[in-house]
Amino acid sequence: MAIHVQESHAPSAAPARRGRRKRDVRAPRSGRLPGQRWYTPYLFPLPALILFGVFFAWPAITAIQLSFFDWDAISEPVFVGAGNFARLMSDDRFWTGLGNSLLFLVGMFPLLVVIPLLLAVLVNQRLPGIKTFRMLYYLPVVTSMVAVGVAWEYVFNQQGVLNWILTGFGVLDQPIQYLLDPVWALPALVLVEGWKSMGVFMMIYLAGLQTIPTNLYEAAKVDGASAWHRLRHITVPLIVPYIAVTLTMEMLEAMQVFTSVYVMTQGGPQDSTLTLGYYIWSAAFQKYDMGYASAMGLVLWVLLILMALANYRITKGRTVTP
Amino acid sequence: MTPKLAFWLRRAGMYVLLTAIALVFVGPFLILLSAAFKPAGQAVFSFPPDVIPRPPVLTWVKEAWTTIPYPTYLLNSVVYVGVMVPVYIIVSALCAYPLAQMNFRGKNLIFFAILSTMFLPGEVMLLPRFLVVSQLGLADTYAGVILPGLLSAFGIFLLRQTFAGVPREVIDAARTDGCHELRIFWHVMLPAARPTLAILGIFGFISVWNSFIWPMVVLKDSAMYPIALGISYLAGVTGTDVRSLAAGTVISILPVVIFFMIMQRHVLEGMRGAVKG
Repeated sequence: MAIHVQESHAPSAAPARRGRRKRDVRAPRSGRLPGQRWYTPYLFPLPALILFGVFFAWPAITAIQLSFFDWDAISEPVFVGAGNFARLMSDDRFWTGLGNSLLFLVGMFPLLVVIPLLLAVLVNQRLPGIKTFRMLYYLPVVTSMVAVGVAWEYVFNQQGVLNWILTGFGVLDQPIQYLLDPVWALPALVLVEGWKSMGVFMMIYLAGLQTIPTNLYEAAKVDGASAWHRLRHITVPLIVPYIAVTLTMEMLEAMQVFTSVYVMTQGGPQDSTLTLGYYIWSAAFQKYDMGYASAMGLVLWVLLILMALANYRITKGRTVTP
Repeated sequence: MTPKLAFWLRRAGMYVLLTAIALVFVGPFLILLSAAFKPAGQAVFSFPPDVIPRPPVLTWVKEAWTTIPYPTYLLNSVVYVGVMVPVYIIVSALCAYPLAQMNFRGKNLIFFAILSTMFLPGEVMLLPRFLVVSQLGLADTYAGVILPGLLSAFGIFLLRQTFAGVPREVIDAARTDGCHELRIFWHVMLPAARPTLAILGIFGFISVWNSFIWPMVVLKDSAMYPIALGISYLAGVTGTDVRSLAAGTVISILPVVIFFMIMQRHVLEGMRGAVKG
């Protein structure tokens, strides 16, 4: 582009001069310098581009193709047109999975978007040893979901610590087998998923909080604003750009819940924890229903993009800079 | 009440709150730890919880170590981390350098291609990527586990951000001195990005050590399992004692927890850069 415009404006300039003027006048930060070959900027990203082509672009195209076929991974794929999508519309388990994934989305919202902000405010104080607390709150993030799943199975055990606390405080009359109860299994998994990722979201908010000038709070304090008012009128408005980030991350994460389900409930009892992610995996790798799994994957993909766009539209323009 | 007393009371209350919350995050791991060292005669679950092992025993650690080929899995995870983390950082840095500091045709195209991978979530890509990997003959191989994990949009963005902050004059000076672009990359850009590289190293270590879904899909041969997959395998072995499973799980998270504790001071800085980027 730049070269084209330049040529039309200075057609009579000597070639050597033209080259220099192009850099000096039009694009002072232009990259190519004498001695640099034209292909140099393309060599550096080459490994990344090859990986992109092989492990992102090619599979994405494969997924779109496959979603129009019926294929059991052994015999020849059969073209079924929009058949997989029609099937999906009338598949109760698909809708159960979608519904459960949306329940994760809603359930994890307070755990990942709201509470971590409060945690961040808490650990943003200047106190001796505060870094240790930050680290402890972050601990579940660095451990594998498998390990977390095992640990929480112990917590959820009928004779486990959660039942002891809840019966002890009189919240429950009887211990509950959380993971075997169609009502409690999903909330239990929401709790585990939220608990595991809270640290990440807390750290994002903490990074945001540390960009807020402390004199804002001091001024508010002098004016007699309470802690709640300072949170409501200084912290929250200034943290909105970060909420946009955490909200998008929360949606992506909630809609893709898989490992906790795989480790703790396998979608049961009675499909009560069957998430879209788990159903897609199960259709592909347990039932070898490749075309159908691809079609569901595409639907999930479109959903995620729509959610990200909606989130962008909602939070855009609400950005406040201090 | 004197102001000083009020100050100390408030501070004490703050620590009580902080500790109570810490217990929520650490508690489940403490329960694991307690179960892992309890002797066979002591109940794992009881009202009220009986958490101190009397006496602590190593029986279950040994049992977990031998029920599954534990050392093999640990070694596999070390190999995956050792190969994937440096390579993904180099791939990201190579891609980020021209994006940050050169102008060329197609730059935006490359940028948006990388950006788009953020919207191709792993869950959706699982099956088609597995099919591609199978077609390439990489199913059930170390390469099949490793290669798809080497492209990181996060890494490329973070490094592009960092490289863009390197003053133009420094690079131009190196160029006038006749420095090859690759030498500039290696001797100017990478040293300038050291804090970012540390962060990518930390996050890379954690994510590779904990990787589970992709290895599970690619690998049939359990001899190549990373440790997280090994634990899930241990959980599936019938007759595994809850204490033994707890012991196996504790050992599996120990390396990454220790690594994190040593490196944690870099994490907040990294978050700051990442969110800005």
